[in-house]
Amino acid sequence: MALLQISEPGMSTAPHEHRLAVGIDLGTTNSLVAAVRSGEANTLADQNGEHLLPSVVRYLEDGEVVVGSEAQAALGTDLQNTIASAKRFLGRAVGEIKTLSGQLPYKFVEADGSVPQIQTRSGNVTAIEVSSEILKSLKERAESTLGGDLVGVVITVPAYFDDAQRQATKDAARLAGLNVYRLLNEPTAAAVAYGLDQQTDVDNKIIAIYDLGGGTFDVSLLRLNKGVFEVLSTGGDSALGGDDFDHEVAKWLLNESGQAGSKDEYLLRAAMIEGRRAKEALSDESEVTVSLGDWQGTLSVDVFNGLIEALVKKTLMACRRAVRDADIERELIADVVMVGGSTRVPYVRQRVGEFFDKPPLVDIDPDKVVAIGAGIQADLLAGNKPDSDLLLLDVIPLSLGLETYGGLVEKVIARNTTIPITRAQEFTTFKDSQTAMTIHVLQGERETVEANRSLAKFALRGIPPMVAGAARIKVTFQVDADGLLSVFAEEESTGVKTSVEVKPSYGLSDVEIEGMIRASMENAKEDVEQRRLRESQVDADRSLEALDSAMAADADTLLSEPEKHLLLKARSQLLAAKNSDNADVVKNAIKQLEKAAEFYVARRMDSNIQQAMSGHNITEFES
Amino acid sequence: MSIDFKQSYFELFGLPQQYVVDEGQLASAFRELQATHHPDRFAADSDEDRRIAQQATSFINTAQETLKSPRLRARYLLSLAAVSFDDERDTTSDMMFLMSQMERREQLEQVTNAADPFEAIDEISRDVKKDYKDLQGAFVTSYESDDLEEAKQVVLKLKFFERLMGEIKQLEEKLEDDV
Repeated sequence: MALLQISEPGMSTAPHEHRLAVGIDLGTTNSLVAAVRSGEANTLADQNGEHLLPSVVRYLEDGEVVVGSEAQAALGTDLQNTIASAKRFLGRAVGEIKTLSGQLPYKFVEADGSVPQIQTRSGNVTAIEVSSEILKSLKERAESTLGGDLVGVVITVPAYFDDAQRQATKDAARLAGLNVYRLLNEPTAAAVAYGLDQQTDVDNKIIAIYDLGGGTFDVSLLRLNKGVFEVLSTGGDSALGGDDFDHEVAKWLLNESGQAGSKDEYLLRAAMIEGRRAKEALSDESEVTVSLGDWQGTLSVDVFNGLIEALVKKTLMACRRAVRDADIERELIADVVMVGGSTRVPYVRQRVGEFFDKPPLVDIDPDKVVAIGAGIQADLLAGNKPDSDLLLLDVIPLSLGLETYGGLVEKVIARNTTIPITRAQEFTTFKDSQTAMTIHVLQGERETVEANRSLAKFALRGIPPMVAGAARIKVTFQVDADGLLSVFAEEESTGVKTSVEVKPSYGLSDVEIEGMIRASMENAKEDVEQRRLRESQVDADRSLEALDSAMAADADTLLSEPEKHLLLKARSQLLAAKNSDNADVVKNAIKQLEKAAEFYVARRMDSNIQQAMSGHNITEFES
Repeated sequence: MSIDFKQSYFELFGLPQQYVVDEGQLASAFRELQATHHPDRFAADSDEDRRIAQQATSFINTAQETLKSPRLRARYLLSLAAVSFDDERDTTSDMMFLMSQMERREQLEQVTNAADPFEAIDEISRDVKKDYKDLQGAFVTSYESDDLEEAKQVVLKLKFFERLMGEIKQLEEKLEDDV
């Protein structure tokens, strides 16, 4: 062993003082992990030298979980058990997931209004659990590369993430056994990666971060002053990205090849893949040869730019809004940082450059820049750089409020308020002797309850009976540095204090998380037994269905009454066995039913052959 | 390291207790306080330390937001002078003022019909901002001559302007969405 202990230069000086901390970019399409080593932040590669971990998780038959490119490869063959883009489902209700993502191959179950679950062959899983598998994989990669346990991590989230989504991200991290120092907005991380905080010569510098990923767009304006980053405003579109570029090109391909309106899924998929290839090729070429099936054609940069024009314009409108929200003039913006693979498209760079009137920064790989920034911040929060004065001040991306009379929303904390923040609002009763009040917490910018996102609903009880308007109910909103909200309510006019703390829905409660961690640590035997039981129950259903449909078809013609009775008896025995919690009992009952039905199966086959032949002329069989 | 939650927001930032605030000084005092008290400074410390940091930064953030906002700052100055506000009932009865507010709203309704809606709304926005500034001057005059009742009236009017500016902003966003 001693022979292998050769330390790297620079590492040997004080190895125990350096605390291992990493930054994780938990992305919709790909995820990355980065760390500061020998004073430099870099993303960490897996054993095959790959830095990007596809955010895909596959659940295998033996209960094993596969993450990354291996899982991604199964997307074509085992869609239902292979979960991609789980980030889109984090902190969402089933209904929202469906409207957001359109047609999805997954079967969602919503259990008692809590976290939605996706059905897979190894049981139901939540988006939180799927994400935690990705995080676990990156944790393992980091610990084996860095050679030790991680003391803390910084995980990035889109600036647009609301409270429930942030909560869900944090839950996923806890489930993966990670200590989260901080959730960091992705654009902020990108600014850190560019070391814009190191430029101490400029005071009051304003930076724009333009982040166009595969499926999301974010823009943020940050102000930097003497080592302090301050988020001035954030904006964007959670359903706009490079995939939409592919989609536009695909539509063009279908049109040009005369196959517009086709419902052929294979063709549509081929068009998307070709669209993506053409888009990427056009980053370097002025035109590219494209094909779809037998059709072949040419796509020029000019035509391509025209196809994506409306989408690019949409992103610039969000930029305009962010500038106004920050209450600054556009000319004050000193730097524009490009993030996300889609910013490789030259036309995007050109239009962004024109809008901000300066060439955007593109030196760091736009796929890695967020993870690198998170890595730098993690290193800092771990205390590895005691003399650094970098500090990130964040704002909440969406307003927080309460439902008031008539289904309207009263804002308690406006969006872009610097966090952490605590704010109280007073309400009163509107009926005499009213002893309870519903507190409905919402997030969003709209006026009405339905148009905003419901985060939590709870009742404050035990209000002493008073005339209407006399009670004073103080509702306090508290948002921490990660942007996570707690709400307290109390009646204060009589000194009677009742307070309730709520956590938003669609995150997991502490109890649930503990339960999941314990369940995953307990020996796998029980899991295997559970799976066997579920499988046997599915088999039982199949047998029962087959029998029922057969008997419905021809029991009267093929079976005598005692025979029918015999089969129905075996049927009810299987039904009873199915509800037991023992796979062997179920399997045995299936066997019994099959045995009892043997003569019936044989008789049906005979009768089917006779029927098949009786309706035909001899000549037909000759041809 | 906690802070004194009883001190006034002006004391917190080392600013004189008056309406006109040196924004640069407020900004740098704010950042200095954040640099010392922000929970990130205690990321690797105990939950207790982080909770204290959270409370301190909340206080700092509220203070900064109050002093930065023209209306909240005016209102805060009056509350330090024991002038109370009742958000449910207090409103201005200045008919001329209410009329001019209504005219502004009518102008806003016409924006979507304008040849260039963005230019039309920019123009309204400029006018409204100028009136808003003038009103702040009126506050200083009343406050400094100790006419606190009149000063309170100005604060109530400022609220109307905030609502109007909010509507302008919403309309701008709607115009952008329609592009």
